[in-house]
Amino acid sequence: MANTEHKPVVLLVDDSIDVHRLLQARLRHEQIELVGTTKSAEAVDMARQHKPSTILLDLDMPGMDGFEVLRALKDDSAANSIPIIVLSGKAGSEDKVTAFDLGATDYVTKPFDLAELRARLRAALRLDHLLRLLAERAEVDGLTGLGNRAAFDKRWAEKVAESRRYGTPLSLAMLDIDYFKRINDTYGHPAGDQVLVGLAQSLQSESRSPDIACRYGGEEFALIMPSTGPAEAQIVAERIRAALAAQIWSRHPDSPITVSVGLVGSSGPIGDVTPDRWLEAADRNLYAAKRAGRNRCITADLAHAIPGAAKAA
Amino acid sequence: MPSPQTAPPIISTLASDPDMAELIQLFVEEIPDRVRTLQDFWQRGDLSELKRLAHQLKGSGGGYGFATLGAAAGNLEHTLNHAPGPQADLETVARQVDELVNLCARVRVA
Repeated sequence: MANTEHKPVVLLVDDSIDVHRLLQARLRHEQIELVGTTKSAEAVDMARQHKPSTILLDLDMPGMDGFEVLRALKDDSAANSIPIIVLSGKAGSEDKVTAFDLGATDYVTKPFDLAELRARLRAALRLDHLLRLLAERAEVDGLTGLGNRAAFDKRWAEKVAESRRYGTPLSLAMLDIDYFKRINDTYGHPAGDQVLVGLAQSLQSESRSPDIACRYGGEEFALIMPSTGPAEAQIVAERIRAALAAQIWSRHPDSPITVSVGLVGSSGPIGDVTPDRWLEAADRNLYAAKRAGRNRCITADLAHAIPGAAKAA
Repeated sequence: MPSPQTAPPIISTLASDPDMAELIQLFVEEIPDRVRTLQDFWQRGDLSELKRLAHQLKGSGGGYGFATLGAAAGNLEHTLNHAPGPQADLETVARQVDELVNLCARVRVA
């Protein structure tokens, strides 16, 4: 797939094979991997497949023209943030304005001035690099390094949709540190932070590689367990609970920390249950675990937690 | 109009660029084929294919350092964008095809 050699991929969409040859030669010394298609209708698929860092897009193509491709790329959730440099034989401002209005990053007129094209390509690649960095940062919790609330919302919706489509098992555990406010009040905020980081470490060491751990907010964490039914998920949750309870805290070595867990999982078709309702069900179990005395995991099958949800499958 | 034999050869303005030498050679070698295809489309009256070819030559002519070729192809494409039209338009197309063919005949690697 894309970026395996750490060279950014650049996708060229131009109906003329001459332009492909020309740019292959012209960009030979750039640190990029150039992929291309002469069929405009293939552009979006190519973009999804190769995840390019920049797209060079010809305007004047038979069939689907460059503006239509531009629109389709901007409508595609997987491709819409890729910088696009429009290539055109027309220098008129009307086409430029249209291209920029449709979301193009830059505009280069043919025949290419080599130095200019290279410079503009490098600028687009820098933009892509920053956009990727920003997208990563925007979804990482600064303290624990886990995914944040935004990352959770996105990944959870993806996993529920996947499970709905393929009928695969899926489980969600919500975890909340017991008496967290007391830790903060008694030992200070640095101690509280240490506990948050400690739970994040237990989450990572005890979960499996496909599992997705996020800090949901405050002292509440979420663990998405794809392809995992409730029984197996409970084993993972118990491992995390035990690992946290076994940690020794330098700031309060005599006060162990525990966590309560609410878990709702499904072994089979999930029906039409929404990500939100599933999350609410897991939260209900979390509060049940708190009321039952904390430091425990309460697990339910989705079909029981949300009666009727799985019937539609 | 001077005949292709007496008119001076057309050489790429990018001929001295080492990156381009191989490409220009390939482009020049393929020109006779393209001219045949162009004439073929014109004789068959396939104006949409003729337009597609003119469009490509416009882009590659400029890109490979043959600006006059690119411009002639561009003129042809422009006329064809309004085709099929009245007789006058087709006469223009005929003249522009000839012009393009004559320019192509003068293209040389060096």
